Amino acid sequence: MLILVARRVVRLLVVLVGVSLVTFAILQVSGDPVALMMPEAPESDRIVLRQAMGFNDPLPVQFARFVGSIARGDFGQSFFHREPALPLVLERMPTTLLLTVLATGLSLAIAVPIGIVSAIRRNSVLDHGATFVVFLGTSMPVFWTGIMLILLFAVQLRWLPVSGWESWAALVLPGITLATFSTPLLLRIVRSSMLEVINLDYVRTARAKGVSEWLVICRHALTNAALPLVTVAGLQFGLSLGGAVITETVFAVPGVGRLIVGAIRQLDFPIVQAGVFLLALIIVLVNFAVDMLYIYLNPQIRVR
Amino acid sequence: MKRYVPLATALVLAILALGAAPGDVTAQAKDTLTVALPSHAPTLDPHMHFERVGILVNINMYDSLLHRDIKLQFVPSLATSWKALSDTQWEFKIRKGVRFHNGDVLTPEDVKYSFDRVIDQTKKSPQYGNIRAIKEVKVIDAETVHLTTDKPFPLLLERLVFFPIVNKKHVEKVGDQAFGTTSPVGTGPWKFVEWKRDQVIRLEAFDQHWRGKPAFKHLNFRAIPEVATQVAEIKTGGVDIIRNVSADIQPELKTHPVAYISSTPILRVHWIAFDMRVAPFDKKAVRQAANYAIDKQTIIQRLMAGLGQQVATTVQPLAFGFDAEVKPYPFDPKKAKELLAQGGYPNGVDITLHSASVANRPEFEALCQMLTDVGLRTTPRLWDPGPAWNKFSQTEGKGTHGVYGTWGNYSVFDADAVLHPLYHSEPGGWYGKWYARVEGLDKLIDEARSSVDQPKRKRLYTQIQQMIREEAPSTFLWTQYDTLGISKKVQYAARPDEWLWLFDAKPAAR
Repeated sequence: MLILVARRVVRLLVVLVGVSLVTFAILQVSGDPVALMMPEAPESDRIVLRQAMGFNDPLPVQFARFVGSIARGDFGQSFFHREPALPLVLERMPTTLLLTVLATGLSLAIAVPIGIVSAIRRNSVLDHGATFVVFLGTSMPVFWTGIMLILLFAVQLRWLPVSGWESWAALVLPGITLATFSTPLLLRIVRSSMLEVINLDYVRTARAKGVSEWLVICRHALTNAALPLVTVAGLQFGLSLGGAVITETVFAVPGVGRLIVGAIRQLDFPIVQAGVFLLALIIVLVNFAVDMLYIYLNPQIRVR
Repeated sequence: MKRYVPLATALVLAILALGAAPGDVTAQAKDTLTVALPSHAPTLDPHMHFERVGILVNINMYDSLLHRDIKLQFVPSLATSWKALSDTQWEFKIRKGVRFHNGDVLTPEDVKYSFDRVIDQTKKSPQYGNIRAIKEVKVIDAETVHLTTDKPFPLLLERLVFFPIVNKKHVEKVGDQAFGTTSPVGTGPWKFVEWKRDQVIRLEAFDQHWRGKPAFKHLNFRAIPEVATQVAEIKTGGVDIIRNVSADIQPELKTHPVAYISSTPILRVHWIAFDMRVAPFDKKAVRQAANYAIDKQTIIQRLMAGLGQQVATTVQPLAFGFDAEVKPYPFDPKKAKELLAQGGYPNGVDITLHSASVANRPEFEALCQMLTDVGLRTTPRLWDPGPAWNKFSQTEGKGTHGVYGTWGNYSVFDADAVLHPLYHSEPGGWYGKWYARVEGLDKLIDEARSSVDQPKRKRLYTQIQQMIREEAPSTFLWTQYDTLGISKKVQYAARPDEWLWLFDAKPAAR
């Protein structure tokens, strides 16, 4: 058990090194960073800055230095904001996390009950109807879904604000938009894993014992069907963080994704690096948590 | 099935609860004016950025020495009068009894301090280049300030229209950082209340403003990056003014019950910079051929909702020095083919044109097709604007055989602000140093920018316009309009300098 956790931790560290390599590469492939920092300066000034910032050192040396400063939480100064990049990203992180958690929660709230009903009433009108609706949802690009929801709920019906982040009502549309993106897969997973267990002997035994149908489904069937769901939900959470970039732009949500999009436009690489690294870090940590949860949920793994 | 009833009920209730927001959630109070901007500038310190979105906010919080009215005439602001004492020295009389938002009275010391903090190179103000020519600011007496420039600087007054005056005592007390984020203080019509980054900047009317109280008590600038979202906001009353309404959106706002649009020609010219270093645009005949090849009127009518004006050169009608006697190239594809043959390409030639102007993609594609039609067979390349800026205009000059773009003169209504960056070949310049090679042009541009004798400058600019029309270092296209979408509860009109001078905004009479 302990070895298992240790192995996962090592894997986590390896992934983090990979992430920092990618982040490091962002700046390298963008051309000459010094030219970006001082576009109007003469070449002589640039040579001085290049030397001072260590851009003449071999790449491995530069990478080692980069990893060192990341470890100290130093991503450098934002060119645009003229402030350290990390706090700018951290300041917006709760917003993005709230949006993503909300969306993931919402898609679970939709996917689990409908998935269960679809499995129990397999091939019923409800099953086909649910499949049709969610696939409609997943076929639409996120920004389009967002704009359509705005037109319906904010412009036509006037139930909700168009955009912003100043009231709880403002969270609804971005939450739903992001949820339409991750619900379909979750729903399919719930449905298929429920189908797998629902006719197994132990479920039949439970029914035979006279356990109520409600309890059979929730207690016996769902617990076992939940394993793949947890894995996929973890992955979808990461994908939703990516989807949040677009959702935040459409709904004017003051989150990390929008900050990164703006920074890319302004060639503000410290922000891009800090943002990408932190988002990647969260995704990695969530997947790590999922792994741990899996060990907890599945005694088979623990024993092995 | 009965067993799922509680579950289904809960689900329905949850969805209803989410949807059950109070009705008409976005309606605003009548004394509030809300403007949508795509983003916020990094600071509210008016000297430490040079972003359009920041300037639009700053001008409503701070005053400059001069102001420009809607007809683009200079009018007094914090300076009540001004005159040139010599080629390099100017005198400004400072308005008496003006109060800052914190109650302090404006003094000439504040004026001097404002210039000094931009001139001070350790502060690295991005506006340093605008007023680099100012060598010294001297306080003469309680209402007089003298500015000395290192050489004759005809653009001085232009530069002073956006040069906000800040409160010396206050800035020194709170420090630059706090001044730019939590505690900005100016003399303008609205004072600072709150800034939620990437969300909203809230301002409140300043009762003691020297022009009088503005019509709207609350002024908000919301950051909304997506155009479709901005349009939805104005339709539902969430915002009152949106900017840069493109041709495809105008019809729906024009006929909408709660909004209207207001358009005006602005200082932005479209052109194609030819790379004159290499074939085929090293030949004058080929450059002229390209100018004859383009049907400007059709593009303006079909792609820009008629909101454009064809131009003879890149010097625009709104800029000082414009000469209406220089006429635009007519659309003449036959002539274009002849000239191309004269230039040595009777069978046409393959070229590549670059653009980073994503918003003008339809125009760019139409241009390339028109050039192709006369034999300048064009491959259009559209680039990501950020990196392209360096690649084509500034640091690298890799735009062979040409770059399509737009130029906004940095809001300076003077021919120099387009001629120098686009055509002067001096190192450290913009497009000109890479692409333009017109003999004798550098000298004329230099001569015109180092004189404050306006009639003489006008003559020189006429000469330059004739010269560049003939030599055609660019394809000269059109000037653009800007269109605002405005809520019917607000009375306001778009300005040619694209400013949102909201002191002029009034509640509509109903």
